[in-house]
Amino acid sequence: MREDIAALLPRLRRFGRTLAHNREDADDLVQIAVERALTHSHQWQPGTRLDSWMFRMMQNAWIDESRARVRRQQTFVEEEAGEHVGVSTNDAQMDALAVREAVSQLNDEQRAVVGLVLVEGLPYKEAADVLGIPVGTLTSRLARARDALQAILADPTGARP
Amino acid sequence: MTTWTDSSLMAFADGEMDAGQSTQLQAALMADNALQQRLVAITEQRARVAAAFAPVLDEPIPDRLSQLLRAPAVANPTPHVIDLHAARTKREPHGIEPAVSSVAPRKAAPTWAQWGGMAASLVLGVLIGAQLKPPMDDPHLGLQGGKLVASGIIEKSLTTQLASESGSGTPVTVQLSFVDKRGQYCRTFSTAHMAGLACQEQGRWAVQHLAALDAAPYTGMRQASSALPRTLLDAVDERIAGDALDANSERSARAQGWRR
Repeated sequence: MREDIAALLPRLRRFGRTLAHNREDADDLVQIAVERALTHSHQWQPGTRLDSWMFRMMQNAWIDESRARVRRQQTFVEEEAGEHVGVSTNDAQMDALAVREAVSQLNDEQRAVVGLVLVEGLPYKEAADVLGIPVGTLTSRLARARDALQAILADPTGARP
Repeated sequence: MTTWTDSSLMAFADGEMDAGQSTQLQAALMADNALQQRLVAITEQRARVAAAFAPVLDEPIPDRLSQLLRAPAVANPTPHVIDLHAARTKREPHGIEPAVSSVAPRKAAPTWAQWGGMAASLVLGVLIGAQLKPPMDDPHLGLQGGKLVASGIIEKSLTTQLASESGSGTPVTVQLSFVDKRGQYCRTFSTAHMAGLACQEQGRWAVQHLAALDAAPYTGMRQASSALPRTLLDAVDERIAGDALDANSERSARAQGWRR
């Protein structure tokens, strides 16, 4: 189990970043999920996807972590600015930055579906299970998230409700 | 003719459309430029979002995460106080006292006199290290033949770093070097979280004493004189033969690989 989770760490961190944007907050979520996984390893059902199980714990931790959100808002600007100071940025990096920034402006529900489906590539059914919602709810959230993302990327400075 | 909704196109882009519908959509795409463009916008967005987060996969895993998943036997290398002289610790609780007073009874050699100033930079270094440096590479300490020995960056620092050169920003700082009563070199070291004393034994740095530094919460710069736990300084007192090495003796000891 430890080895399996260790192998998932890069993806868990990536999913964390879609949820939390800020690297430290994202890693906090991974840490919480790993700790929970180790203490509740008996609750994982063999034959089900370990990554989904871990994503679910991260998502739950994110919902619980209001503290992290406050910190995220506080450190938001420095974090993103700091990460790119002195880094030569090419077009791809600039675009990645813009996209991550746009994703961070989505609401919590939308970020979760974007992370699970668009970034982690989970099937709808699997992603819906992670979030504990019906597939229909997932697809409508996903559609709204895509529209919102498109709007933000088309007009990054525009005021949105 | 079927009207293709956005959600159908999304399902197609996400690989969620069943085979029959997919075939129909592909046929429709051939003949419909506008439909093609709608689909391209969706697939492009998907690829763009995935690409934006892909670099996270190549980032080094922070130590605090990988450490959680180490084998249980070595999962907890830094208990609050690891005192190899348990009896001594019991007699003297893990209090922190001014280093100067603890060494005052000894003859005040120049190296000891410098200690206060060195300790100030040491503490600053530890603080800066704790805040800016990623956690150190593990393992810092290991077991060899039943003995706790320095490894990794601690071993490297003990072997290569001169106390007189220990500056801020290094993850491990070395403070004092001396010859013990057996005639072997010993050195004290500290990281952001612990301080220790290691002596040469068969080419390795065998750890004689280890104590946690009360690392959190820092509210400012600690007083330099309280940098090292009293128990550690006592352990030095117990072993030291003569005075601590000055910068020149330290340099020549390093040049000889800390062998005598």
